[in-house]
Amino acid sequence: MAIIEEPRALPSGEGPAKVEKPLGGFSRPRNPSGIKDWLTTVDHKKIGIMYGTAAMFFLLWGGVPALLLRLQLARPNQGLLSGDAYNQIFTMHGTVMIFLVVMPIGAAFANYLLPLQVGARDVAFPRINAFSFWVFLAGGLMLNSSWFLGGGADGGWFNYAPNNGISYSPSTGIDFWNVGLLIVGFGSLTGSINLITTVLNMRAPGMTWMRLPIFTWMTLVTQFLLLFAIPVLTVAQLLLLFDRKFDGNFFNVQQGADPLLWQHLFWIFGHPEVYLMILPAFGIVSEVIPAFARKPIFGYPFMVFSGIAIGFMGWGVWAHHMFVSGIGPLSVTAFSVATMFIAVPTGVKILNWLATLWGGKLILNTAMLFAIGLVTQFTLGGLSGVTHAIAPSDTQQTDTYYIVAHFHYVLFGGALFGFYSGLYFWWPKAFGYKLNEKIGKFNFWSMIVGFNLTFGPMHILGLQGMPRRMQTYDVSQGFSTWNMVATIGSFILGFATLSVLYNALVSYNAWRRAGRPDVGPDPWDARALEWSIQSPVPEHNFDTTPTVTSLDDFWHRKYQEDDDGTIRRVATGKDIAQPGERGNVHLPAPSYWPIFLAFSLPVIGYGLIYSLWLCIPGALLVVIAMYGWSLEPADDLDDDGHHEPEAELVGANV
Amino acid sequence: MSDITVEDIEAAGTEGAAKIEDAAVDHDEVDGHGAHEEHYTSLGLSNMKLAMWLFLGSECLLFGALISTYLLSKTRFIIELVAGNPDVIAGISDGENGELVQEMIDQQSVEPFFDIPFTSLSSFILLMSSLTMVLAHKAVSEGNYKNLRIWLSTTLLLGATFMAGQVYEFTVFYKEGLTYNGSLFGTAFYTLTGFHGAHVTGGLIMLGSLLLLSFKGKMQQDRAETVELVGLYWHFVDIVWVLIFTIVYLIP
Amino acid sequence: MATATTEKPIDAHDDHEHHPTAKTYWITFLALLILTAVEVAWSYLGLSGPALVVPLLLMMVVKFLIVGGVFMHLQTDLKVLNGYWFTLTFGTAVVLAVCVYIIVFAAFRWDI
Repeated sequence: MAIIEEPRALPSGEGPAKVEKPLGGFSRPRNPSGIKDWLTTVDHKKIGIMYGTAAMFFLLWGGVPALLLRLQLARPNQGLLSGDAYNQIFTMHGTVMIFLVVMPIGAAFANYLLPLQVGARDVAFPRINAFSFWVFLAGGLMLNSSWFLGGGADGGWFNYAPNNGISYSPSTGIDFWNVGLLIVGFGSLTGSINLITTVLNMRAPGMTWMRLPIFTWMTLVTQFLLLFAIPVLTVAQLLLLFDRKFDGNFFNVQQGADPLLWQHLFWIFGHPEVYLMILPAFGIVSEVIPAFARKPIFGYPFMVFSGIAIGFMGWGVWAHHMFVSGIGPLSVTAFSVATMFIAVPTGVKILNWLATLWGGKLILNTAMLFAIGLVTQFTLGGLSGVTHAIAPSDTQQTDTYYIVAHFHYVLFGGALFGFYSGLYFWWPKAFGYKLNEKIGKFNFWSMIVGFNLTFGPMHILGLQGMPRRMQTYDVSQGFSTWNMVATIGSFILGFATLSVLYNALVSYNAWRRAGRPDVGPDPWDARALEWSIQSPVPEHNFDTTPTVTSLDDFWHRKYQEDDDGTIRRVATGKDIAQPGERGNVHLPAPSYWPIFLAFSLPVIGYGLIYSLWLCIPGALLVVIAMYGWSLEPADDLDDDGHHEPEAELVGANV
Repeated sequence: MSDITVEDIEAAGTEGAAKIEDAAVDHDEVDGHGAHEEHYTSLGLSNMKLAMWLFLGSECLLFGALISTYLLSKTRFIIELVAGNPDVIAGISDGENGELVQEMIDQQSVEPFFDIPFTSLSSFILLMSSLTMVLAHKAVSEGNYKNLRIWLSTTLLLGATFMAGQVYEFTVFYKEGLTYNGSLFGTAFYTLTGFHGAHVTGGLIMLGSLLLLSFKGKMQQDRAETVELVGLYWHFVDIVWVLIFTIVYLIP
Repeated sequence: MATATTEKPIDAHDDHEHHPTAKTYWITFLALLILTAVEVAWSYLGLSGPALVVPLLLMMVVKFLIVGGVFMHLQTDLKVLNGYWFTLTFGTAVVLAVCVYIIVFAAFRWDI
């Protein structure tokens, strides 16, 4: 659906020339404060923080049930959870962690950092950005409301057909799963369009392709993957919706349908999805390692092109999830080979990180430790991944705990370690103080111990033949010891994961008691543009749009080569950072419509599940929101779309 | 009003300085409040147009999935018909089905259902609406508001006619006994064409809004891009119909 | 990929002189019309198999390219600075969709 919005110039204004209030209370709020500020904000930094907060909430929400699963499996023949509850919990754990934790944390970093790294004042479409966040939250809340309305989905996070049909899963759980994720997907789609446009079109002067920070590059690839993968999931879920609600036959075997179609569509989405979860973490690590190895990233072009290669190859490997589903021998061979090949660009990245570390003056602080944690743990996960690429070997491993071990190593050991690294790295940029290093190191070491204790034994359990999604096991099967180890590990991991919140609290209090000292624009002596402005980032980002002359431009302004070839510091970050004076910069005005439109969608969603009549008010709300949105006076333009210099000066004082 | 700081120049060295000067000139245009519609973008392309193309790219995957779902479902359906699967036959013939369903079962093909002359006319109408849409854009970018309204109304009318044709076709099919839930073919056919219809309807709403704005005098020459964006969407829907017409109707 | 940002920004609204004339649009429409007529006629020839399908698909692709190139201005946008980005993004999507779904279709239809 095209949402018509004014093309916006870089320096957008605040406050229209004429105070128009065609919509009364719904016209754009002026300088709201408190909660209203957060609800109506279109500032990419606030939206990024909200994405991160929501994702942390869902991390708890999806993590605690996982501990229940581990408790249930701690000893043989336990009856803590019924089979039905167990099914619901592992399904919702996977769904929440993937769609509501890992993806939005990636979006959080992307939102906060992309405009800063490319030197822009905001994303291309600030209101759509706010919409993307709210629609993600609305969809996520709706998805989880199923817990209170008859139970969650119970078919595994991929909900294979025909198991997801009404006859095998008669509760509304899968409907909530279906509709909730459709809504979340809508947010991902608009978000990806927005961020791609930002990177393509909002770069500061001189910020050419080969000067973009690696994080920006990886996020760009991620957003393209989202852009093209989300619609495939949308179609699969719509087919399921029609089957479940309108008695369609897409996956009805009795009418001759082939339910394998679901697997194909789901994994055409699902495999790019895997890469779009890990690539932002790769990007983060590629920023952290050079900063703390005190060296530029090794092989910048290789990093960029391997990321692009992963993006493309990610589309040609989906059927390796389906080796035992009865696809033909040619497909198995082709997808097996393609999967082995995709390890090559990933290996290139690992190699480049190692080469960056090699000979560097390593500063082993928490962010760096987490980054190295990603490199090691992801490599382990990647190695078990290669064993899945070999079809005969995969046939043995499919649906065992070996798979569970593998994807937790790449998603937790990869993506989440990367995100924690980024959290420690960019926290001072976003909030103005560093996180406590002592607690941070405890956080890292307890996490890595807990993580390996939890998921390491699953390799062995899987090879012993323990099937995944099994509610319990018998003592005679010999799974008891390692399950106990994994359960103990999972609780260590749980507390370790949470200790970052404790850290934030402690660090904030210490900072406040010390009288909120200025952490400085560049606390890590880092390389990219976001460190050339004050911390926390002023609302308008850049006082003046920077001009970029090289890769790691900011670093090259701090360090220059002497005549004798040694690199010397010529300035500190503090010296050359922009002072954070707003001057005559105009920002897009906040708006009610993004949150209004976003929370209209679940009304339609509930209508689809309970009564189609509810869809009518829902659709009406959507239409109102869309008209309100597009007719809302553009913030800094008068009727003809001209800028009025005098009006802008006035506007600056509003 | 140059935004370039001293540090920038120093860091760039002498050969970079000239380049920065260039950037500064451009940048003035960005901030240049007098400059009409000169939005600085790094590619020099409009954000909205880029976003629209990205959206349409995403839609390609959406319709690709729907079309392949239709093809697979139809193929499976015919295979079951040929095999004489009693469940499948019972699904479509509930005793009082029309001739077409009977013909479909006898010929073991979905061909009898399609009224090619009628659909050709629909296709012609939709193609025609693409032409009028592009003429509307031309009119507004030339500042010819009278023509803009004429062509927008024509497009709206043609689009509505197409939709009316689709509703008529659905009604005929339904009366003949091809229900949504009776057979795999019915489900797949209604979903694919219905999805396209929903897209056309969305386009009609946008066209109507444009027309309204135009009558209010708010669709001026400098907003020609809005018309172009709606046009892009409209042509894309037309392109999808080009695919559906050939793949669904002409190749049974 | 030298997309130097220091080049003069092109006004996206001002490029209609690159856009085709009304006459071109009408001729394009006629071409589409004729192609559609040939398509329909071809489907009435009573052919089957590749003789039926291949020409129809070819004509479909040509129609696709004509609408995209002329009505959606992809062809004229190529002449605008960086205008190839539209074709690039859309083209990537089309190629991706065609490849992926052909593989799915093949995996189903011929059980490869």
